[in-house]
Amino acid sequence: MAIRRDIGKAGWGQSAFAFAVGIVYFFPVLWIILTAFKTRPDALATPPKLFFTPTLNNFRAVFFRQSSTGGEGQATDFALYFFNSIFVAGTAVLLAVIIGTLAAYAFSRHPLRGNDTYLFIILTTRMMPPIIVIIPIFLMFRVTGLAGGYWGILLLYTAFNIPFSIWLVKSFFDELNPEIEDAARMDGATDWRVFFGVCIPQIVAGLAATFVFGLILTWNEFLFALLLTGVETRTVPVAMARTLGGNVGADYGLLAAIVTLFLIPIFFVTFLLQNQLLRGVTFGTVKK
Amino acid sequence: MAEVAPVLDPEKSAVAARGAPSTGAGGGGGSGGFMDWLKAPERRGPLLVAPAIIVLFVMNIFPLLWSFGLSFFNYRANRMKEPDFVGFRNFERVLTDEDVWERFQTTAIIVGSSVLLQLIVGFLLALLFARQFPMRRILMMLVLTPMMLSFVSVGVFFKLYYEPTFGLVSWVVNMFTDQPFALLATPEGALAGIILADAWMWSPFVMLLVLAGLVSVPKYLYEAAEIDRASTWRRFRTITFPYIKSLLLLAVLFRTIETFKIFDIIYIITEGGPGTATESIAVNVYRVAFQNFRTSQSAALGYIILFIVIVLTNLYLYSVNRRQQEAI
Amino acid sequence: MSIELRAATKRYGALTAVNAIDLDVADGQVLCLLGPSGCGKTTTLRMIAGLEGADEGTVSIGGRVVNELSARERNVAMSFQFYALYPSLTVAENLAYPLHAEGLSSARIRERVGEVSQVLQLDGILARRPGQLAEGEKQRVAVGRSIVRDPTCFLFDEPLSRLDVQLREKMRGEIKEVLQGLSRPTVIVTHDQLEALTMADRIAVMRDGRIEQVDTPHEVFANPANLFVAGFIGTPQMNLLEAVYDRALDGGRGRFTMEGGQTLSIEIGAGIDSLPAGATVTLGIRPRNLKIVAEAGEDCLSFSIDLIEPMGAETLAHLSGGAGLRLVTDWRHPLAEGEQVHVCFPPGVTHVFFEEKLMTARHRMPVDEEHAA
Repeated sequence: MAIRRDIGKAGWGQSAFAFAVGIVYFFPVLWIILTAFKTRPDALATPPKLFFTPTLNNFRAVFFRQSSTGGEGQATDFALYFFNSIFVAGTAVLLAVIIGTLAAYAFSRHPLRGNDTYLFIILTTRMMPPIIVIIPIFLMFRVTGLAGGYWGILLLYTAFNIPFSIWLVKSFFDELNPEIEDAARMDGATDWRVFFGVCIPQIVAGLAATFVFGLILTWNEFLFALLLTGVETRTVPVAMARTLGGNVGADYGLLAAIVTLFLIPIFFVTFLLQNQLLRGVTFGTVKK
Repeated sequence: MAEVAPVLDPEKSAVAARGAPSTGAGGGGGSGGFMDWLKAPERRGPLLVAPAIIVLFVMNIFPLLWSFGLSFFNYRANRMKEPDFVGFRNFERVLTDEDVWERFQTTAIIVGSSVLLQLIVGFLLALLFARQFPMRRILMMLVLTPMMLSFVSVGVFFKLYYEPTFGLVSWVVNMFTDQPFALLATPEGALAGIILADAWMWSPFVMLLVLAGLVSVPKYLYEAAEIDRASTWRRFRTITFPYIKSLLLLAVLFRTIETFKIFDIIYIITEGGPGTATESIAVNVYRVAFQNFRTSQSAALGYIILFIVIVLTNLYLYSVNRRQQEAI
Repeated sequence: MSIELRAATKRYGALTAVNAIDLDVADGQVLCLLGPSGCGKTTTLRMIAGLEGADEGTVSIGGRVVNELSARERNVAMSFQFYALYPSLTVAENLAYPLHAEGLSSARIRERVGEVSQVLQLDGILARRPGQLAEGEKQRVAVGRSIVRDPTCFLFDEPLSRLDVQLREKMRGEIKEVLQGLSRPTVIVTHDQLEALTMADRIAVMRDGRIEQVDTPHEVFANPANLFVAGFIGTPQMNLLEAVYDRALDGGRGRFTMEGGQTLSIEIGAGIDSLPAGATVTLGIRPRNLKIVAEAGEDCLSFSIDLIEPMGAETLAHLSGGAGLRLVTDWRHPLAEGEQVHVCFPPGVTHVFFEEKLMTARHRMPVDEEHAA
């Protein structure tokens, strides 16, 4: 039985050093955020400017095209792109968590012969390079007319998140004390009651964490979104790549604004999930 | 003598409920039969797993099989010609193609260097964060941010940083060399640029794992070491390191598997260039499939990659199990 | 080389874990810090070790004040409650660990490890790792790691608490043997009084950060200084009865009125003189000292038996009446639940506690000079 070690305190020197290192490490991100507030000339200034007068133009430009007459221009499609990202990721992950939870319960409480093999195959589908399935999926989508619409990418992202959901939620189920379930059965509860009334309530926090981690993974997905979303269903990462367009004089201020906006939800949500971080990033295989 | 109700109701007991085949639930024929068959306890497991299996099958397994099948033909997506069966020719061609080996080499360099860098930096970061200090939580969140960005975001901005005229990196180097610095112009430079960006993104991941190990060492072990007057190095080697060893291994394996797939970042920063110097295997497959439309060939290559990934994933899970069993 | 604590105090925020205690442990002496959990005994031990710093007061080892020295510099040996064996090292390497700091040659280290291994019968498991050891083996390795060196003192934190009952009995004897061979002061922390009574030369009973009594095991048992010690030491627990002191009788006896009205006249001893008449006191008598007699008498009380607990060689009887009196007799003595009995308080074994302190200190046992305080 191990006693958890309380983190000891660091001395002054070490604290200051840690601080410095942290800031330096964060600097590239900080620069992006700063760039979001810079005017076009500021953004591309040499030498690079650390101090400048900030402007909100870029953030405005994300959502509204500049009008030549100086008034509010017409809306860009970025509101749509943000919506798409939220909608597609949110729905897909939600579905994945539901389906995954059912499966995880089975793997945990009703283990089959070859349980480990199934779980291994499931993990492998998550680990393999997307590149391998991209061709058939692309063809499949074209044939069935799913390309460009919501259904296709939704289904794909759901499949994308199922393995990870299964592993993660299974790790939560495995930690539950089976005696509580036995006690409920002794009291006459049916299996459904046990599942919904006993098991699920205990892992609600874990389910939330699973949902959020899935969100983080899906939010930033690029390759499949690139190939399978259409004009109406485009997600932000794809839009970002298109805005870049490959030319040197790209509007980095605008891009920075997009990146910053896109980062905020993830940052916020990661902060909320600090305690489950380790489990989340290793897909439930490492619990500490 | 009053009749005592049975204390243990055999029908409701946990053992029966846990899925032992119940004698009554088999059901007779007729319309009740299928529902009963469905509801039988031993069906429960498979039933719960079914939706997941179906979705995974349709979106993953089926395409995989199709792609596997494709690799035995000479299908090209942009030609209307009927594909011919060519057996292992695609595999042969791929395995003997010098270009392909070069891509594997490139990928190996990227994976090896990036993971190594991640290990070192991640480990150092973990040491830094091993103790409590004011604002540690916030600082850790900041250090974790690189992981939260999309590959596209990182790609876009590191491309800017590497830019000879406006880029930060170039500017800093310029201070020392007084010459414009175009990192991405040379093959070595471009590789370095990719490796740096990837390592920067994922070192915090290693940090998280190592930190978990550092923090899990029971306090009394360090106290015992203090009583036993062990030197700092001795303490690290005999107490700390064993705890993080298994986690380091997991980190290496996990990152290797993930980095092997590297695509987005290369696509954005260098598009595989200059020339094909930074074209990883995944980028190669993409190009061959979608730009050259040699669909079957890329499928064959894809399968070889899959095989490697399966081996690595196996290794990873094996290490996870080992670690759980050792459970220091 | 002795250990001395003077007014040693340790605080955690508003909580005073150790409250200005004085303690002396002479060379070669074994002192047990005994008390319920939270009484400060482990904190005291850690203050001696140097793992906790004293907020006030002094800690001295070998006549030298060591407050400012770290644990490393104090050269103490400590055996931890959770053994703290290094999981990645073999038993032999664990045993050798402290010796590396002494600059001994590898040959000498191996020699020392071999000696200790023989004493503690670890020869068969030297190549194993802690994860492969049984609880008792781990415990012996932990002890071994302490005695392999030549420290200023030996400290043991709950050495037997993780062992099951049978193992505990066996290890008590073994450890006692080992302890007798040591020539440095030894402090053992335990919450198990049986351990303390068998292994210690002197016991310090602690409660809430203070020492209630420091004395030889026999004295702590026979003449508990106050109600707390009386109730803590001895199983089954000493019977503690409220009574009102009526008056003194001749022959060193006094008359008491018990709860429920019965009166009791028993031999008290010299301490009777300081008792004011009408005082509310607590009478203490151990269950084994109560005797069942055929006829009622002045020195007896009458109760009926509520419950009988057979304990093998003995029987425990719970008596009625608000006092909750319990007595223990030989198993052959026939008792029946509901039976009315007369319970006698024999002379010389009843304690009187007034305002929680013992009034009836009796003949001290002559103490073996070797282990004298």
